[in-house]
Amino acid sequence: MTATTTVRTAARVVDAVKVYGRGDTEVRALDGVSVDFPAGRFTAIMGPSGSGKSTLMHCAAGLDTLTSGAAHIGDTELGALDDRRLTLLRRDRVGFVFQAFNLVPTLTVAENITLSLDLAGGRGDPEWLDALIDVVGLRDRLHHRPSELSGGQQQRVAVARAFAGRPDVVFADEPTGNLDSRSGEEVLGLLGRAVRQTSRTVVMVTHDPVAAAHADEVVFLADGRLVDRMESPTADKVLDRMKAFEVPS
Amino acid sequence: MNAAVRLSVSSLRAHKRRFAGTFLAVFLGVAFLAGTLVMGDTLRASFDTMFGDATSGTDAVVRSADTITTPGESQGVRQPVPTTLADTLAKVPGVAAAEPDIEGAGQLVGKNGKPIGGQGPPTLAGNWITDPELNPYRLAEGRAPRKSGEVVVNRGAAKKGDLALGDTTTLRTPDPVKVTIVGLATFGGEDGMAQVTFTGMTRADAEKYLTARPGEAASIKVRAGPGVGEKALVDRLTPVLPKGVEAITGQESAQENTDMISSQFLNVFTTLLLVFSGIALLVATFSIHNTFAIVIAQRTRENALLRALGASRRQVTATTLVEATGVAVTASAAGLAGGIGIAAGLQALFPAIGFPFPDGDLVISALSMALPLAVGIAVCLGSALLPAVRAGRTAPLAALRETAVDTSAASRTRAVTGLGIAALAMAMTLSGVLVSPSLWTAALGAVLALVSFVVLGPVASTTAVRVLGGPLDKLRGVTGGLARRNALRSPKRTAATASALMIGVAVVSLFTVFGASLKATMDQTVSRSFAGDVAVSTPSFGAGGSGLSPRLAGAVQRLPEVDTAVGLGRGVAEVDGRGRALTVTDPVALERTFDLGKVDGSLRDLGTDGLAVTRTEAEKQHLTTGSKAQLAFTDSKKETFTVRAVYGRSELAGDYVITRAAWAPHRTQDADTLVAVSFKDGVDTATGKAAVQKVAAQYGNPEVQTRDEYAQSSAGGIDMMLTLVYALLALAVLIALLGIANTLTLAIHERTRELGLLRAVGQTRPQLRAMVRWESILVAAFGTAGGLGLGAFLGWVLVKASDGASDSAFAFAVPPVQLLIVALVGLTAGALAGLRPARRAARLDVLRAIATE
Repeated sequence: MTATTTVRTAARVVDAVKVYGRGDTEVRALDGVSVDFPAGRFTAIMGPSGSGKSTLMHCAAGLDTLTSGAAHIGDTELGALDDRRLTLLRRDRVGFVFQAFNLVPTLTVAENITLSLDLAGGRGDPEWLDALIDVVGLRDRLHHRPSELSGGQQQRVAVARAFAGRPDVVFADEPTGNLDSRSGEEVLGLLGRAVRQTSRTVVMVTHDPVAAAHADEVVFLADGRLVDRMESPTADKVLDRMKAFEVPS
Repeated sequence: MNAAVRLSVSSLRAHKRRFAGTFLAVFLGVAFLAGTLVMGDTLRASFDTMFGDATSGTDAVVRSADTITTPGESQGVRQPVPTTLADTLAKVPGVAAAEPDIEGAGQLVGKNGKPIGGQGPPTLAGNWITDPELNPYRLAEGRAPRKSGEVVVNRGAAKKGDLALGDTTTLRTPDPVKVTIVGLATFGGEDGMAQVTFTGMTRADAEKYLTARPGEAASIKVRAGPGVGEKALVDRLTPVLPKGVEAITGQESAQENTDMISSQFLNVFTTLLLVFSGIALLVATFSIHNTFAIVIAQRTRENALLRALGASRRQVTATTLVEATGVAVTASAAGLAGGIGIAAGLQALFPAIGFPFPDGDLVISALSMALPLAVGIAVCLGSALLPAVRAGRTAPLAALRETAVDTSAASRTRAVTGLGIAALAMAMTLSGVLVSPSLWTAALGAVLALVSFVVLGPVASTTAVRVLGGPLDKLRGVTGGLARRNALRSPKRTAATASALMIGVAVVSLFTVFGASLKATMDQTVSRSFAGDVAVSTPSFGAGGSGLSPRLAGAVQRLPEVDTAVGLGRGVAEVDGRGRALTVTDPVALERTFDLGKVDGSLRDLGTDGLAVTRTEAEKQHLTTGSKAQLAFTDSKKETFTVRAVYGRSELAGDYVITRAAWAPHRTQDADTLVAVSFKDGVDTATGKAAVQKVAAQYGNPEVQTRDEYAQSSAGGIDMMLTLVYALLALAVLIALLGIANTLTLAIHERTRELGLLRAVGQTRPQLRAMVRWESILVAAFGTAGGLGLGAFLGWVLVKASDGASDSAFAFAVPPVQLLIVALVGLTAGALAGLRPARRAARLDVLRAIATE
C-alpha cells in the first residue's frame, strides 16, 4: 500500500494519554499513543501484560474516556459525547467481542445476535442477518440459550452479534482467550473472513502470536507507548518481535 | 473471639447494605408491636388514674344488683333505684353525704347547630351532684346550676361545640331542652372523660328529662364520715338496703369503669393493632427469609472456600446464624426504642387532635419490652435458619463453579404438596361455609388456603409472570422482554418476593370485599325492609347520641303530606331468662312502612300483653303464635306475653316487637332510634322531605334522609373502619415493598457483568432503568394478582361464614372499582420499589462491570 492511496480510517486515537490513580499510585496506562485503524482492515494490538493494549481498545471504542488526547470513530470525536450519545454510538456504530461472558443468558441465540438492533428499536437488514447466521454456522442453534452452547459456539454468536448492525468497527478483546485452539481458530477465521469478504473493520487485542497472525497488520504496545507496526504478520515474526520486549533494556 | 463470630462480624461490616432491608423490616414490625403494647398499657394506666382521681371522694356506690344484657352489648341495663333511698342512707351512722346520681343520654347541640360528639363515645347528661367530693366533675369556671335550664358542661364538649359561659343551646334528651351554660367542668383534671361529653343539670331537671318517672336514679353515691373506711361503709349500708340493691366500694366502682372502657374501647383497639402488627411481621418473615436465601446463594463460593479450608458444616451454619442474630438483636432493639418513641409521640399527638389523653408517664411493662424483642429475634432467626443450614451443606467443590444462583424450577413434590393443601383448604372452607356452617372450620380453611398459595407460588410464578409480562414485549420491546425474563430467572426467588406483597394485598382485598359486602347487605336491608319514603334518625355510632324525641313521630304524623309516621323505640327485657332487645312501636303503622315478610298471625292487636317475634328467633326460642313467653323488665317486674304474630324479616324491625302501651309501665328514658315516614299518594319526596325537616327542626334537628340517603349513611361507619384498616395495612405493604427492592438490589449485584455487557452493546441508562423497573412491576403484579385472588376468595368465605353464623342474610359483593384501585396501588408500589435499585444499576461503570468476577 502506498502513501498516496487515501485510506479511510474507521477509528483512530491521537496523543492518547490515560492515567489511573494519583500521586504515588499514579499509573500511565497510555502515554501519548497515536494510531489509525484503517477501514476494511483487520488490525491486531499486541503487547505484554500491562502494556496498555486493553486500555487503548477501551478508549478507542468509547467504553472509557481518555485523560488527554482524542479518540475518533469515523469522524466523530468521542470526547465531546455524553454518556447517552456514547451509548448510542456504541449501539449503532461499534461492535464488541469480549473474552468471555458475551451473551445475555436469558436471551436465545437469535435474540442475542439482534440485541443491539433491538435496543435501537430497529429491525436490521434481514438478508445480511440471514447471511451472517450461515457464516457463523448457527442456524440450527438459533432458539437455544447460551448455556446450551459450547464456549466456541458462544464466541461465534458474539461475533455474529458484533457484526449484526454492520458497524463501522468491531473491537475484539482477547476473543479466543478462553477457547481451545480449534475453536479459537474458527473464531479468528470468522473475523478474518468478515474483513476480507464483506469489507468490515476489526481491531483485536490479543497476546497470542498465532491469533495476531490472522490480522492484516499488528501494532505493538509497550509501557503505554506505540513501539512498532508490522504488516502481513506471521506467528513466528510476531513471536520474535514479542521476545524482544522480554529482554531487559 | 470465636472464628464463626469473627467471620460473621466482618461479613456484616462488609455487606451492610444487603442487610439494610432486613433491618428495616424487623425494625418496623417490632416498633409497631412495641408501640401498640406500650400505648395500650399507658392508656389503661391513665384511665385508671383518671377514674381514681375523679371518684376518690366517693366511698361507696349503691345500685341495683341485676342487669339485663342483650347479645352484643358489653354493659347491661341496670334498673334504677329510688332517689329517696339517698335520704335513708344519709342517716346511716358513718355516712357524711349521700346523693342520687341520675344519668341519661343527652346530646348537646353546638354553636353551628350540629350535635356534639355521638360518633362512638357516650354523650351523657345527669344531675349536677352538689357535694363536690361525690361529683367526679369539678367546676373549672362559672358556677353550679341553680335553676331549671341551667347546666354545667365538661370543658372538652364546650370547646368542641364552640360554646362559652352564658351561651344558650339545645340539649337533646332526646326531647330538645333549652339550656344555658353556667359552668364548665373538668374530669380528673382533664377536659373530659376521654371523648365522653357530659351535661350536668339541676336534680329536678334531670329527673324530669332523663328518667321515665321522677324519683329514679341510676345509683346513689355515698361519702363516708371521718374514720370510716370504704369496706366498713359498705358493711354499714348493706343492712338498710332494700332487696335487689347492693353497695360496692368506690374503688370497685372506679375499677368497673376502667374495665368498661378497657373492654369497650381499649381492648378492641389494641387487639386490632396487634393483629396488624402480626400481619406486618408475617410479611417481614418472607422478606427476611428471601434476603438471607439470596445472600447465602451469592456467598456460595466464599462458604465453599471455608469448607475447603477445613471449616465444619456446623461452623459455616453458625457463622450465618450469628450474622442473623446480629441483625435481629440490633434491629429489634432499635424497633423497641422506636415503638416507645411512637407511643410517646401519640401521647403528645392525641391532645393536639382533641383527644384528651390523660397525662402521665409512659408505662413500659416487662412484657411490652420482652415480647417485641423476642418476636423480632425469633422472626429474624427463624427466617434465617433454613438458609443457614443450606449454607452449611455447601460442598467444598462449589468454590470452583461459575454461578450459584438457584434457577431450578419448582419441584414436583412442591407442586403435589401445594395442590394437596389447596384441595384440603377448599374442602374445609366449602364445608365450613356451605355444608355445616362453622366459622372455625372456615377460618382454618382460609389459613390453609394462604399456606397453599405460598407453597404453590414458585410453581405458579413461571406461568404467571409469562402471562402478566406477555404484553411487555410488544409494549416495551427488548427492554420489556429482558425484564420479563429476569423475573422468570429464579422462580423460587420471584415467588418468595411476591409472597410478601401477596399477603398484604390479600388482607387489603379481604377487607375491601368484606366492607363492600357489608354495605351491600345494609343497602339490601334498607331497600328490602324499609317501605317508607324518608327516615329520620340521628347520625350516631356506638354508644353516642341520644336518639329521637318520642313525640317527633306524632308531630310528623300530623303533617298533611304524611300517610304514616312510625317511631321505633328500643327497650330491653329478659325473655325466658335471656336478655333481648325489644322494638317499641306502633305495630300497625310498622307494618305499613316496613316490609316484614311473611306474617303469621296479626300485628293488629298486640295490646299490652302481646308480642311479635321474627321467625328465626321464634324457632330458636321454640315460640309459635299463641305460645306464652315471660318477659322480665328492668324494674324487676315480670309479665307473661302471648305471641300474636311471627314475621319474616328482622333487620330493621328487630327480633321482638311490643306496643308502646305494653312498654310504658317499664320504660326508662324514652327515645326513638328511627322514625320512618311514608307520604300520601301524589306527594313527591322532595316536598315531603322538606315538610318533615321543618318539623324535625323543632326536635333537635335530626337528619331527614330519603331511602337511598339512609342506606348510604348506614354504611358510613364501614368506610371509617376500612380507612383505619387500610392505614394499618400500609405498614405491611411497605415492608413487602422493601423486600422487593432488596431482592432486586441483590439480583443486580449478581448480574453486574451482564448489565455491563448490555451497556457496552448499547443499552442506554434509561433503558436499563426501565428494565429493572419493569422487573419490579412484574414481581409486584404477580404478588398483587395472587393477593387479589386470595383476598377475594377469603372475603367470600368470611361473608358466607358470617351469613351462616348470624340470623340476618349477608350479601356478597365484589367492588370492581376498589379492587382495581388496589391492583393499581400494588403495581405503582412495585414501580416505586424498583426506583432505587434501577438507579443504582444505571450508575454501574461499564468497564468495571464487565471486568467483575
